[in-house]
Amino acid sequence: MSNFVPLFDAIPALPSSVDVEFFDPPMCCPTGICGPTIDQALLDLNEMVMALQAQGVSVARYQMTSHPNAFLGNAEVMKFVHELQMAALPITVVRGKVIKTQVYPSLEEVKTHLSGASA
Amino acid sequence: MTHYIFFSGKGGVGKTSMACTHAVRYADEGKRTLIVTTDPASNLSDTFEQAIGHQVTPIAGVPNLWAMEIDPDKATQEYVDRAMAPIRAAFPPQMVQVMEEQMNGPCTAEVAAFDRFTDFLDLPADNGEAFDVVIFDTAPTGHTIRLLELPSEWSQSIDAATAGSGQTCLGPAAAIQDAKHKYERALAAMRQSAQTAFIFVLHPEAISIKETRRAIAELSKLGIQNYRLIINGIIPPEGAQNALFAARAEMQAHYLTQIEADLPYPKQPMSLLAGEIKGIQRLRQVGKIFFDGTSAAKTFEAEDIQPRAAMFVTPLDDVRARLQPNGHRRTLFFAGKGGVGKTVASCITAVWLARQGHKTLLLTTDPAAHLGDVLDSPVGDEIAPVAGQANLWAVKIDPKAAAETYKERILEDARRRGRPEKAIEVMEEELNSPCTEEMAAFDKFIEYASQEGWQAVVFDTAPTGHTLRLLELPVDWSKQLDVKIFASVDATAADDVAKQRFGKVIEMMGDPEQSTFAFVMYPEATPILEAWRAAQELGTVGIHPGLVVTNMVIPPEQTNTPFTRSRRAMQEKYLVEIAERFRVPLAQIPLLPQEIKGLAMLAELGEQIYQSDISARDLAAETMTAR
Repeated sequence: MSNFVPLFDAIPALPSSVDVEFFDPPMCCPTGICGPTIDQALLDLNEMVMALQAQGVSVARYQMTSHPNAFLGNAEVMKFVHELQMAALPITVVRGKVIKTQVYPSLEEVKTHLSGASA
Repeated sequence: MTHYIFFSGKGGVGKTSMACTHAVRYADEGKRTLIVTTDPASNLSDTFEQAIGHQVTPIAGVPNLWAMEIDPDKATQEYVDRAMAPIRAAFPPQMVQVMEEQMNGPCTAEVAAFDRFTDFLDLPADNGEAFDVVIFDTAPTGHTIRLLELPSEWSQSIDAATAGSGQTCLGPAAAIQDAKHKYERALAAMRQSAQTAFIFVLHPEAISIKETRRAIAELSKLGIQNYRLIINGIIPPEGAQNALFAARAEMQAHYLTQIEADLPYPKQPMSLLAGEIKGIQRLRQVGKIFFDGTSAAKTFEAEDIQPRAAMFVTPLDDVRARLQPNGHRRTLFFAGKGGVGKTVASCITAVWLARQGHKTLLLTTDPAAHLGDVLDSPVGDEIAPVAGQANLWAVKIDPKAAAETYKERILEDARRRGRPEKAIEVMEEELNSPCTEEMAAFDKFIEYASQEGWQAVVFDTAPTGHTLRLLELPVDWSKQLDVKIFASVDATAADDVAKQRFGKVIEMMGDPEQSTFAFVMYPEATPILEAWRAAQELGTVGIHPGLVVTNMVIPPEQTNTPFTRSRRAMQEKYLVEIAERFRVPLAQIPLLPQEIKGLAMLAELGEQIYQSDISARDLAAETMTAR
C-alpha cells in the first residue's frame, strides 16, 4: 500500500549528461499555463525546446516541487537559489554550467554556449 | 476473477448505504467481499457501527466481509511531508513556502488518491485467497471523474513527456514509467464489462439526472461501458399518506418518466426509508427490500429518535443581521456542493433583500435555464433588471464560456504572433486546466461586484479556499508562479493592478461586517461533513461561515404520520449537529410540495424564512391568509 508513485526524483542527481537544462520557476497546475493568462516567455521556451530537440540536443526542464534533486545536485544552481531566492529562477544550464539566471535565454544564446562549450 | 463495483453519485444520495447493502448481501452469499472508501466525507464506520480505519478490517457479524477507510487528507499529508522533508532542509524559506502551497493543490491529492485506488485493483490475495468482489464507495461524482479520467490523460502526458520536454505534473518521465503500466492495467480492468460495473445512485430530481448523464458521458469517453442505476429516495405508499409527501411523490413520478427516457441503462428503484441505514441488521433489511422486493414498511425498523426542535432555532434578528447591509454594502456568497440548493437560496435571499428596499445584484454561475426557471425571468450575460421585482438586477456568469472566451483569445493572439501550429496545439491542451474555469468565473464576479451603487450583492458560487490562497499570494510570487488570473495577454504591469484588485476583494470577503459566507446543506450526515470540510478550507484564508442555510427541512406541522415523524426526528438530530458544529445563525428552507419557481413564490418563501420588520410581517401574514 505504501508504494506511491514517486512525485519526486528519489535518486540523487548524478552529474547531468543532458546538454541543456532549465530550472523553471514553480508553476500553477501541471504545466504552468493554468490560465487565464499566458506568459509569452513560456511559450517561447516551449518552442525553443522543440527546436533544440529537433537538432538532436538533449533538453530537460526541472521544477522545485517535482525535481528538487536536480536543483540540489547542481551546486552552482543552489548558490543562486540561496542568494536570490525566487528571483533567481529561471536558471539555464548548458553542459553543467549556469549560462543565464532570472530570465530565459534566447535560442541564439543557447546555441552559442553549446558550440562554445563543445569546442 | 475478482469483480469490481464502483458506486458513484453526489454526497447525500445514499451511495454509501447502497454500497454497504451490496457488500453485506454478497458476503452473505458466501463471496469474499471487500468494501473500500476513499471519500473524505465517507461514513462507512457509522454505517457498520464499528471502527474501521486505514487497514483491511473484518466486519463483525458478517463473515466474508472486510472494509477499509482511507483518509485521503491524511494520506496526502503524509505524502507531502515525506516529500517536503529534504526540501525544507535545503531550500530558503520563501521557496519552501511556495512549494508547500503548490503541494496543497488538487494535483498532489489526485496523484495520491489515484495511486491508492489502483493499488486496490492490484490487491494481492489475502492469505492466498483473492477477494471475489471489491466494492469502491468512491468519492462524489465530479471528483471521481477527475480521478478516473487521469489514466488516459496521464498515459498521454507520459508519452508526451518521453518524447517532449521531459516535464510532467508527476515528476521526471523515467520515474513514472513503472506506474504507467499499473494505470493501464487499472483502466483495462475498468473497461471490462464482465469484470467491472459502475453503479450510479441518484434521486428522481432534475439535477441528479443531469449529473448522472454528464458523469456517464465522461466515463464513456474512457471506454467504460457497464452502467447500472439505483434510483433512491422514492417515496413509498406509507410516506405518501402525508399530503406534502404525496405531492412530492407526484413530482417524482414525472422525473421517473424522464429517467426512463434519458438514461437507457439497467435500473432499480429503492424507496425512501423512515430512518437512517445503520448497523448490520438494517443493512440486511435494506437488502431484502432492494434485492428481494419486500415492502419497506414491513421490513425496515427505523431508529427511534427523540424530537429536539428547540435546540437549533435561531432568532430571526440574528439571521437578518447576516444578510442586511449595515452601513456597508453586503456581499453574500452561497457555498455548498452542487444540487444542495445554492441557487434557490440565493434567489430567495436576493428577492427578499430587494423587497426590503436594498438595491441588489444577483450573480449566478448556474446554467441559464435553471436560474431563469427559478426567477421565472430570463437572465443574460449583461446586468439587467429583473422584470417584476423592483431593486433587483441579475446577471449570469458561465464559467465554461468565460474560460472558453479567454482560451480563444489567447490562441488567437498566439496565431497572430506567428507561433507554429504544433505549439498552439500544446497550448490548447494546457489551457483545459481545472483552475481556469473557477478563476475565470471569479474574475468575472469581481468585475461586476466592484461596480459602485449596489447595496447588496448575492453570488451563488463561493470560491474555494485553494483558489483564494492562490489569489492571495504576494505579487512578486505570483509573477514567478504564473498564477496570473486576470484577463490580459501581455502580463507584467497589469499583474500588479490585478493583484491589488484581488487583494481588496479577499480582504472584503474576510470582513464579517461586509461579507457573509452562507453554507447551504441538507440536514443529513454526508452533506454536513462536506460543507464542514469546505468551511475549514476557507478558514485557511481567514474566511469563516456567517450563516448556515438548511434546505428541505420537513415542517413540524407535517409530522402527522409515523413516516414523516420519524424522518423529521432524524433531521432534527442533524439540525442540532449543524448548530453545534458551525455555531452561526441557521436559516431553514422548508421541504415544499413543488419545485421553487417564480418571483411570487420566492417572495413568499423569503418572508417565511427571514420575515422582516413587524409591519411587513403583518402584511405578509395577510397575503398568505388571502391565498
